Amino acid sequence: MSAADRARDALSRLARASATERILISTAALVLSVLIGAVLVLVAGRMTTCTAGEAVYYFGTGFCYDPVVVFDRLFLGALGDPLSGSWSPNGQFAVTLRETTLLIFTGLSVALAFRAGIFNIGTQGQMVVGALATALGVLWASSLVSGVLGTVVLIPFGLLVGAVFGGLYGAVPGLLKAYADANEVITTIMLNFIATGVALYLVSGVFKDPESAANQTVPLPEFAQFPALFFGARQDFSIVALAFGLLAVGALYYVLEHTAFGYDVRTSGVQPEAAEYGGVDAKRTVVASLTLSGALGGIAGAMYVMMVLGTFQTGIPAYGFDGITVSILAGNNPLGVGVAALLFGVLKSGTTVVQFATDVPPQLVGVLRGLIILFVAMPEFFRLLARGLPGAGSRPEAVATDGGVPGERGGEADE
Amino acid sequence: MSDAPADRADDDTAAENVERETLFERYTTRALVAGVTVVAVVALLLAGLAFPDSLAGTLADVLTSRNTLAATLRLSVPIAFAALGGIFAEKSGVINIGLEGFLIISAFGAIYVADITGGVWIGFAGGVVASTLLAALFAVVTIGFRADQIIAGLAVWLIALGLAPFASQVIYGSPNTPTVATSPSITVPVLADLPFFGALFSASPSVYMLFAAVAGSWYVFERTAFGRWIRASGENPKALDTAGVSVTRVRYAAVLISGVLAGMGGAALSLDLGQFTGNGPTMVNGKGFIAIVAYLFGNYNPVGAFLSTMLFAGLDAVQTVLQLQGIGIPRQLIRITPFVVVIVVLALVGRTRLPEAAGDHYETED
Repeated sequence: MSAADRARDALSRLARASATERILISTAALVLSVLIGAVLVLVAGRMTTCTAGEAVYYFGTGFCYDPVVVFDRLFLGALGDPLSGSWSPNGQFAVTLRETTLLIFTGLSVALAFRAGIFNIGTQGQMVVGALATALGVLWASSLVSGVLGTVVLIPFGLLVGAVFGGLYGAVPGLLKAYADANEVITTIMLNFIATGVALYLVSGVFKDPESAANQTVPLPEFAQFPALFFGARQDFSIVALAFGLLAVGALYYVLEHTAFGYDVRTSGVQPEAAEYGGVDAKRTVVASLTLSGALGGIAGAMYVMMVLGTFQTGIPAYGFDGITVSILAGNNPLGVGVAALLFGVLKSGTTVVQFATDVPPQLVGVLRGLIILFVAMPEFFRLLARGLPGAGSRPEAVATDGGVPGERGGEADE
Repeated sequence: MSDAPADRADDDTAAENVERETLFERYTTRALVAGVTVVAVVALLLAGLAFPDSLAGTLADVLTSRNTLAATLRLSVPIAFAALGGIFAEKSGVINIGLEGFLIISAFGAIYVADITGGVWIGFAGGVVASTLLAALFAVVTIGFRADQIIAGLAVWLIALGLAPFASQVIYGSPNTPTVATSPSITVPVLADLPFFGALFSASPSVYMLFAAVAGSWYVFERTAFGRWIRASGENPKALDTAGVSVTRVRYAAVLISGVLAGMGGAALSLDLGQFTGNGPTMVNGKGFIAIVAYLFGNYNPVGAFLSTMLFAGLDAVQTVLQLQGIGIPRQLIRITPFVVVIVVLALVGRTRLPEAAGDHYETED
């Protein structure tokens, strides 16, 4: 049996053995994080002050924040209160879908790199670069066309510009890793700081909108933005963008599972040595997967500019870091990213509802993000829990937390 | 800066299973970087002497200023403490990407405890405890539950990044805390009046603690049995196990020490300013990640890590002065120089030889 066959074998065995288990682990991680989040809300509610009338009482003790209200607002609020009878597509639900759309792209960006055994922490920076390039590129091109034709031409053009520049920015750590052996975790984090710094410099200087006090570029004309079909314009959501996102989910799944390039990526992720024996050009795969990953991050940036803001403004929210959570929660499977993005879109959109309805600080979701990653990273913990439950069988084989931890770091994926 | 880190850094790993050729290559890139730095600084000083009114003159003034050295030392403190912590963890076989998180949580913890107790040093201890607790969580997750070290490290960072501003918002109603008293700097008489080097003798107590920590860490690794266990736990855990020392316990100890050291850095960072700021990437702003590069460049040697920290912090100090002086280059671009230098250094140093078993879980056979 050749090395390539063996690698393929290991891969399919891994996929079969772990699909159900991963879904269970992700669900358990989510539930546990929410529970810890509830405790945190209670503790925080003890540390702040409020009047006796505002307090809620559990176990005979008064708390300023009510975790039930918090999570009710977080989840039901984000879905636009489907139980209240006054549901409309123009409410918070559209915001949730907007966040989901952006998270699909950052999640896919992280997932693709992860599958190749690369930790791309730089999706945030790639998104910033893509967003700025799109804002400037489309602004320039919008003087050439207009009207419906403008929309049809400019949106694909903007996405292309975002993808190209995000891709180029992703290629930098790829080249550094492939040819200078520089650790991509560090370089991508540094490149995030650099992207933010350079963007701030450009947008507060040469490309600044002279009519705005904020550091932003000149706003794009209405026809150069995603049209708000079916949904209200105030939520900055376009079903076209979501459709495009779902298309990307399917496309990446196909590329990873059914193409030669996808095979190279997956084997490099699971067993780099075997992949090289099997004839995979490791350096080329590293550069190619980071470039493609950066391109997806760049598209997220383009979407943010053309769908949400209509301009580039400094201080882009941390969609790139949320993409890490989405990808890890999804076991780095593109189809899973679609589901995890919706889940995390609910969390992100629910944060603003919580902010309106309660005094609980919005940073709570940041803590939940970290907790979810932590729990998904420790499947062993849940196996121990499961073993403690009656009737639950133990699973001897260890499963990696993601599709591809490089063998040199933690080779438990192929044991 | 001398090329001493290049010499020292390679001494301790030279004997081990590194091939001669790669050792030579690595030695030259490190020596090259150090050499180029020295030559550039000397050239700049000479140029500044010759043309005092030029840009070189301004730069030379900045470089030889006592304030620059003082600022470099102050900026070194959090990075160097975190780097020392990183060395302990990684030498024992646990890659610790979560240093940034340790710095964030201890920076906030120190201010919070100092605020409620009114004591700067109690606050310092509080920061260290906060960071050590987070380190304990990281240790349980990675060593006890065999989580992937990189992902768990990221999680620790993100938890701290959310938790510190969250707590600040709950307690103070803003991601930034109010200010607390700071501890006065310690001045050695006579020596503090030296021209340039005087800055070494008139500094915040945390700077002296850093000197002690660097010397202490070096001593632990070079002269004690515990230091040898840590190295064995990262290089050849099986041998350590055979020798009757528990690999798990050594790794737990090393990760906890890394939490204590990083906690000292984070507490010093916020207490020196008397405030914690939690907007965006918080006041820590990537220092934990720069620390990782510092110890990689210092080749896991405490002294080497300290000297490379001084290089990064020195750049940061110079850029701050240059911003104030308003020379031609825009402020936002000067601010990113340390990050660019980190990437360049990493690209030049290339693959650093990780401890053999770093990232792997060790199963005791019994």
